[in-house]
Amino acid sequence: MPKVTINDRTVEVEKGATLVDAALKVGVQIPHYCYHPRLSVVGQCRMCLVDIWDRGRKMPKLQAACSMKVENDNWVVRTDTPEVQEAQKGMMEFFLINHPLDCPICDQAGECGLQDYSFKHGVAFSRFQFEDKRTYPGRERIPLGSNVILNMNRCIQCTRCVRFTQEISQTAELGFFNRGARAEIGTFPGKPLENHLSTCVVDICPVGALTSTRFRFAERVFYLDKKPSICTGCEVGCNVTMEHRRGKIKRYKPRFNPEVNDYWMCDYGRSTFERYEKLPRLAAVRVRPEATGNGGFYGGWKEALDLVHRRLREANGSSVAILGSAFLTTEEAYLLNKLAGALGTPHRSVPVDLGPTWTIPNLKGGISGQEQAPNRRGAELVGLTPGEVREGGTLLDATALLKGDAAAQADVVIVSDSDFSEAAHNPQVVERLRRAKLLIVFGWCDSPLAKVADIALPVSTHAEKDGTFVNVEWRLQHFGAAFPAPGQTRPLVDVLVDLLARYDASWSKLTTGQVFDRLASEHPAFAGLSWDDIPAVGVTLNVPQARAAVDAATASAVQEI
Amino acid sequence: MSVSEPVVQKDQVNAPPLPADVKAQIAELRTRYPTSEAVLLPALHLAQSAWGGWLPDEAIASVAAELNLPVSKVYGVVTFYDLYHQHPVGRHRIRVCTNLSCQLRGAEEIMEAVQEETRVREDEVTPDGRCSYVHFECLGSCDTAPMMMVDETYHENLTPQRAREIVRGLK
Amino acid sequence: MFEPVLTRNVGNPDALTLKGYKKAGGYEALAKAIKMEPDGIIEEVKKSGLRGRGGAGFSAGLKWSFIPKDKKPKYLVCNADESEPGTFKDRLLMEYDPHQLIEGCAICCWAVQANTCYIYIRGEYTKSAEILERALKEAYEGGILGKSMMGSGFELNMYVHRGAGAYICGEETGMLESLEGKRGQPRVKPPFPAVVGAFGAPTVINNVETLCNVPHIITRGADWFKGIGTDERNTGPKLYAISGHVERPGTYEHPIGITFREMLEKAGGMYKGGNLKAFIPGGASAPILPADQIDIKMDFDTVAKAGSMLGSAAVIVMDDTTCMVRSVARLAKFFNHESCGQCTPCREGTNWMELILKRLEHGEGTEADGEKLLSICQHIAGNSLCALGDAAVGPVKSLVERFMPEIEQHVRERRCPFPERRYFGKNVGNGA
Repeated sequence: MPKVTINDRTVEVEKGATLVDAALKVGVQIPHYCYHPRLSVVGQCRMCLVDIWDRGRKMPKLQAACSMKVENDNWVVRTDTPEVQEAQKGMMEFFLINHPLDCPICDQAGECGLQDYSFKHGVAFSRFQFEDKRTYPGRERIPLGSNVILNMNRCIQCTRCVRFTQEISQTAELGFFNRGARAEIGTFPGKPLENHLSTCVVDICPVGALTSTRFRFAERVFYLDKKPSICTGCEVGCNVTMEHRRGKIKRYKPRFNPEVNDYWMCDYGRSTFERYEKLPRLAAVRVRPEATGNGGFYGGWKEALDLVHRRLREANGSSVAILGSAFLTTEEAYLLNKLAGALGTPHRSVPVDLGPTWTIPNLKGGISGQEQAPNRRGAELVGLTPGEVREGGTLLDATALLKGDAAAQADVVIVSDSDFSEAAHNPQVVERLRRAKLLIVFGWCDSPLAKVADIALPVSTHAEKDGTFVNVEWRLQHFGAAFPAPGQTRPLVDVLVDLLARYDASWSKLTTGQVFDRLASEHPAFAGLSWDDIPAVGVTLNVPQARAAVDAATASAVQEI
Repeated sequence: MSVSEPVVQKDQVNAPPLPADVKAQIAELRTRYPTSEAVLLPALHLAQSAWGGWLPDEAIASVAAELNLPVSKVYGVVTFYDLYHQHPVGRHRIRVCTNLSCQLRGAEEIMEAVQEETRVREDEVTPDGRCSYVHFECLGSCDTAPMMMVDETYHENLTPQRAREIVRGLK
Repeated sequence: MFEPVLTRNVGNPDALTLKGYKKAGGYEALAKAIKMEPDGIIEEVKKSGLRGRGGAGFSAGLKWSFIPKDKKPKYLVCNADESEPGTFKDRLLMEYDPHQLIEGCAICCWAVQANTCYIYIRGEYTKSAEILERALKEAYEGGILGKSMMGSGFELNMYVHRGAGAYICGEETGMLESLEGKRGQPRVKPPFPAVVGAFGAPTVINNVETLCNVPHIITRGADWFKGIGTDERNTGPKLYAISGHVERPGTYEHPIGITFREMLEKAGGMYKGGNLKAFIPGGASAPILPADQIDIKMDFDTVAKAGSMLGSAAVIVMDDTTCMVRSVARLAKFFNHESCGQCTPCREGTNWMELILKRLEHGEGTEADGEKLLSICQHIAGNSLCALGDAAVGPVKSLVERFMPEIEQHVRERRCPFPERRYFGKNVGNGA
């Protein structure tokens, strides 16, 4: 493998690696706008100019690092010579002369390429004093599609967005029009920017020219706390950065994972956190007086769980139906299955909605998902699948409960997630489930189902707990709590551990990590894994389908800053 | 109650079929190049003639459909070059060279003369639809400066008087 | 006494036909070439010292030798885009001797074993394109082109490809992009066209005049070619397109290296007897030379040493009624208009330079403007993606370096000190 020396640091790289990537490997950040590891190289912005010595002789002109591919050991590169610094100052000046001073009203402030490089490589004053800035009249807030708005005055003509629609989403809605100083990006009238990845162009735009319709003016990015997490929109499980402030999620941005979603995520996924704010929140323990059997309920969690424990013991264990959810973490599903085992009930199932199939492009041919929840596989792997029903009995599974009359036959129906799918908000389904003698509902959402429950217990959203999901390619991915839950809400793992402790004290006060380690020791698919050692990009489970479905070759990609 | 689905705007690109003779000429041109994309520039010249000297959106969409190219790419090509027009230019297009060699021999006076004769501003079509004029970059006729191009013909060694006559003679 | 070489058929309308061209000695070179080894032709052209006549002055033979022998297919693209302000020599060659160009292209194709040649001609040259198409038709009918070039068994197809009005398409990779049906935006180099050119295949790109020299080198030999000109690095006949304040503007063929004074005399001297102030030796991209350079030898190296470039040998003559600021402002406007908009220094820099020069010309300049222009030039030159950035810098830098007093006068007097000259009608201007 060829070697290259950048600012006195030598690094070995793949043949054909660009200098920008090679420099990142040794901690040198070469400023760039138009370069992106997944897009074709155009060498347009001229921000990445560096000095190169080829076998000791300095190249007469500065070279664009993004277009220089390392093929042999001949190069010595410097990014700190006076010529390079002068060029960087010159380029920054050129970018800014026609750029509007929109920072006070621009979404991008705080994560803006022009701000960052101006600070690092530019000059503190302007020489553009007596001329008028070029503007694009009428193009200051043009919706390019339903998700993206363009302000052409701010554009620096890097063409990342155009190349994205041509090469990654391959829908080619965006084009580069006109010539020279009038060059602009846009769509052809009648063909708007509509594809499931359209908001990705907002991510890759270095400036505030492209903004997301949903996030516009929502929050200043420097007030946002950032937590790595997983999207719950579908079974692909795109890695996201959950950006939140004061207990409210404001934005999802895709997080780089070459094994799953690469640099991208779909528009639907970006909107999935909004339901946590839009739908009413269940934040207090709620018990109907009839459920207690002796008048009112005046307790908190301990009393509620004691009540649940008592009522479950009084019921016929094998006529308790457990309705799982594909939104449960693997740990929660595991504990729920343990409860089912303690009750001796075979009635376990995980319903999941199906949506359109969307594909997220990556270097392994793309990853597709249709199930609109992140963890059906995880829930089923740890046992939330129907058991054996005794002779002549009916299986009280999801279909029977939601579409048929099965709830009436059940003593207790435990719904593990009040927002388990669209059905939870369907009045007919709610009415059917209500026919159970006792309806216990866990959930974060005060859905119609939670409202009719006998016992409604508030539990965390996935932003407020630790856990793991197993995605469509049988990859286990973990995430952590971003902020504490409101009111009386607790993570479902803590609740179930408390409940199970009433059956078997060895469950008492276990953490999510300890629960995971237990389930890993019991289920061969998770063999060898431990909570502390789950890799950041996730890990493929030891499942025959996984070995067949996932390509063994790992993409050697570089983190885009 | 579901998360609101994004309102997807549907494609509404109108692409009428190309005139038969244009299609036939494009078919012949395809034999000259290894890709159909390379036929684009000649095809746009043909389409522009067929649509009366300019390329409305439907012409652009038609050519894109014929050559199986994304319409945004074709639009990018149309807007890049000076000889493709996206708005009507009248029956005759006048291009007066005002680059240095012509400027050194009185091109400005020719522009004045054309403006006075047509009585419209630059790039405006005369009310009778006869013609429009623009200043243009070097047309490669500097030895016969000042000069102008009307449609496909060069008019060289102009005087303001001669320029006026030419404009008057346009139908 | 210098006998015209490239323009020998100008004035002989018969030479437009295949029969007439052959009668005047045409296609003998091609007949000779197909009996030679392709490499032999490349060597001969290299030996002759023929340098590109489109502006860059790169050795034609050396360029041909870069084409790999083992790849297929290969292309020749003839650069007939001629959009450099002041240049009109290729138009003369195409309109009066199209077969000379066809023959030159054919020999080049044989030398690099390219089976397809595209003549990329600027869209405005409709007349030249029609004449070329007619000549090509005759060439096909006469067996010069087609499945078996002059019976050699070598298939050669030649097509005219019309551009659509963009100076940047005269840049090599800009031309290739335009040929492929895209926006004429230059590509990142490397890879160079000899490796990845048209449609991904190795491609030679040569100017019209360069290719027109080739048949003569083959028939009369590299040594004859070398005998014309100043030294072994500046050889052969050259077309000079002279325009501006000169009595008889036009295309003149001289041995390369003729002095500007001689060239001016042969073109009838200064327009209406005016006084020479400055001249541009090689098209709008060339730095302007002041009148005291009048005895300069107009070849590649001498002009380069004097701080300019021979380029396309488009000579623009300016007398002392000319405002240099106004002239350079017009050139800056040209470059701003023609910039493709890809790279930042050219897109923003040429725009800014035009605005500053316009301000200066209208009397709204400041003392800092000269230095500012130089600084902008420094930031563009060498940093742009293609040579248009460097071209835009040429005239502006030379204005500030050589004509600073004129700029200062504009600033001081807060107006252009040169009254606008009228060439027609009443008040016909100074120098009349």
